[in-house]
Amino acid sequence: MDMEFTEEQQQLMNTARSFLEKECPSALVRELETSELGFSPGLWRQMAELGWLGLPFSEEHGGYGLGVVDLVVLGKELGRVLCPSPYIPTVVVAGGAIVAAGSDEQKKTHLPRIISGEELIAFALQEQSGSYNGRGIKTTAGEADGGYVLNGTKMFVEFAEAADRLLVVAHTSGDSSTTDGLTMFLVDAKSEGIQLTPLSTLARDKQCRVDLKDVKVAKDDVLGPIGGTWPLLERPVHTGVVTLCAYMVGASETIHEMANSFAKERVQFGRPIGSFQAIQHYLAQTITEIIGADTMTIYAAWAMDNDLPHRAIVAKAKSFAGDTFKQASSIGAQIHGGLGYNEEVDTTLFLRRGKQYQLSMGDSGHWEDVIAEELLDK
Amino acid sequence: MNFAFTKEEEAFRAEVREFIQGAMTDDIPSRWLGGLLDTPVRQEFVTKMADKGWLSIGFPEEYGGTESTMPLAQYVLNEELHMAQAPIVGKNLGVVVNTLLHQGSEELKQEFVPRILRNEIQWALAYTEPEAGSDLANMQCRAVLDGDEYVINGQKRFITSAHFADYMWTGVRTDPDAPKHKGISLLILDMDSPGITITPIWTIIGERTNDVFLDDVRVPKERLVGKENEGWRYITEALTYERFAMTSIAPTVRKFQRFVDFVKETEVDGKRLADDPVVRRKIARLSVLVEIGRMLDFRCVAMAVKPDYVPYIEAAMNKMWGGIVETEMSDQFLDILGPYGYLWKDSEATSSADALLDGDVADDYLWAGHQRVAAAGVDISKNIIARRHLNLPSS
Repeated sequence: MDMEFTEEQQQLMNTARSFLEKECPSALVRELETSELGFSPGLWRQMAELGWLGLPFSEEHGGYGLGVVDLVVLGKELGRVLCPSPYIPTVVVAGGAIVAAGSDEQKKTHLPRIISGEELIAFALQEQSGSYNGRGIKTTAGEADGGYVLNGTKMFVEFAEAADRLLVVAHTSGDSSTTDGLTMFLVDAKSEGIQLTPLSTLARDKQCRVDLKDVKVAKDDVLGPIGGTWPLLERPVHTGVVTLCAYMVGASETIHEMANSFAKERVQFGRPIGSFQAIQHYLAQTITEIIGADTMTIYAAWAMDNDLPHRAIVAKAKSFAGDTFKQASSIGAQIHGGLGYNEEVDTTLFLRRGKQYQLSMGDSGHWEDVIAEELLDK
Repeated sequence: MNFAFTKEEEAFRAEVREFIQGAMTDDIPSRWLGGLLDTPVRQEFVTKMADKGWLSIGFPEEYGGTESTMPLAQYVLNEELHMAQAPIVGKNLGVVVNTLLHQGSEELKQEFVPRILRNEIQWALAYTEPEAGSDLANMQCRAVLDGDEYVINGQKRFITSAHFADYMWTGVRTDPDAPKHKGISLLILDMDSPGITITPIWTIIGERTNDVFLDDVRVPKERLVGKENEGWRYITEALTYERFAMTSIAPTVRKFQRFVDFVKETEVDGKRLADDPVVRRKIARLSVLVEIGRMLDFRCVAMAVKPDYVPYIEAAMNKMWGGIVETEMSDQFLDILGPYGYLWKDSEATSSADALLDGDVADDYLWAGHQRVAAAGVDISKNIIARRHLNLPSS
């Protein structure tokens, strides 16, 4: 049993940390909240140059052949600075789906462009029900003219406006009560019939409602088996979830560090507020939770890299990391007193994201249901 | 990065499991702390393990130890013992042997370590006093050097093994004028010495602990462990080993698994309890808390095998979490059982035949309360984490 990262992983961590400290200060994070794209294309290009967009892809496809643990190392650093980027939907989920389900042609077409930063793909799974379990999908894909025609509405699609492609999950058969009959489509974002409506979110990130009206998709853009795609999506989605967990752990570390420093400096009643037991206990409990979430996330990644059964482990990681970041951001702001709720103070960046990320990529209820299935139904 | 045990450790685990299956009888399991060695059958069980050399793994050969390529042998052994509610090899080895090996004189090492590794002698740990609980450094039990002997006067409280121990590992004040952390020493008391009076204290879970009164108890000065007035440092290091050995997440995992099996097997009014949506969410949430407990335990273990590293903070986090999880778990389990949860099943006194899971969950609820405070519980652990890990200032 050993909790050490490899030398390469340490190096990735150190490089990422110094790069992001310099290139993604909180001022940029703020600026991007009101920008058109919600991320910095310049920063994205630099990330591509650093090789980060190729981390999980095999060397055969132009990547570095690294594992989920390596994604966790990077994810944590991105989270520490709240770096807004399409990394999870494009590189991890869509990239992973193309690797799992794509034809050789599709891999050749898309993977190099993802790795170079030229292609952005948004992931369109959830619909009006908000559920993340593949049920409640009413978007249909009917055969027409040698291809397909998509009709329906997708919700909570991150970076839809910036995307070149939308990875849409729709029913070619079966109804919304089942995950049978689901198929993936790599829809050209410029297609006729796509309407994007920006959503206004707590974290002020770029998510859209996507309405699809008679959107034509060529046969070449069907990803994976017709009607049998859901099982193939599980691993890319789980990888995305674990990367999000790492992001949330990194963000929790930063807000905790901020609150800890503040508690040592802020003097009230003649002494630093960090000398009061209530504050000490908040910070002690929170750091323990962060360390627990960190270890749990790495454990989930390690289990995936070692091909161990991991569905319950991923569920537990997301459930706990979500709770932890929510709590860390909430208590972190609280320790700053009134200052913690001022628009221009960085605590608010964390506070707004803490709760939102707990609800993203499957909320607590979703992952608790997964755990219950694994523990009680098998 | 590796969360798995080595093949050797897993083979050892299988061997331990087989031994337990063969050696367990109905009168051995105890629900509390994996069982104290207060009965002959429990002593015999541990002696059998000692005969196999399992208590000596990883300790120096010159004191009766056996070299090992398994850094986690003791952890694996205790985990299996906890899962079977069998007596664990915690306190004696974890605290006494480790401290003697690091701090004790050659004479003390030779006199005690081999006998401990053969399970020939039992120990009580005596730090706590009526005025020294959370504030353990406040201990007042006085030891004055008189010629070649220390003379001890004072009272120790909640000394759980005192009534059957051969020796008592005792914190005493040797310098009343120094700041309290700097005037404490560690002495080994022979329980046969005149002047020792033991009276029982019964806890609500039917576990016996004791008050120990010391009146002019004489202890040879050779029984001082390490240096005079350095005792507090030894104690805090030793407490870390105790916390690590005694607060394994394994009992929590065992209780959780047992309850999950119960939920899967039980029907209420023709419906599977496991299909109740509220029950499902409660079980799921608890499984997360238990799993995080395992993660903090792993972290403690991974750090503990590093040479010259004392996992003080990791042990505090582990201890803190344990108290929180046990409380939440027993409380939620009782909610699921409803009024059946509060039925007691005690074979010695009253017995309610309608109690579910042998009434153990009601016991666990009381035990969890105890775990919140015992041996530096939730609040003290938070203080330790805040001051020693986060470097927050004291008042």
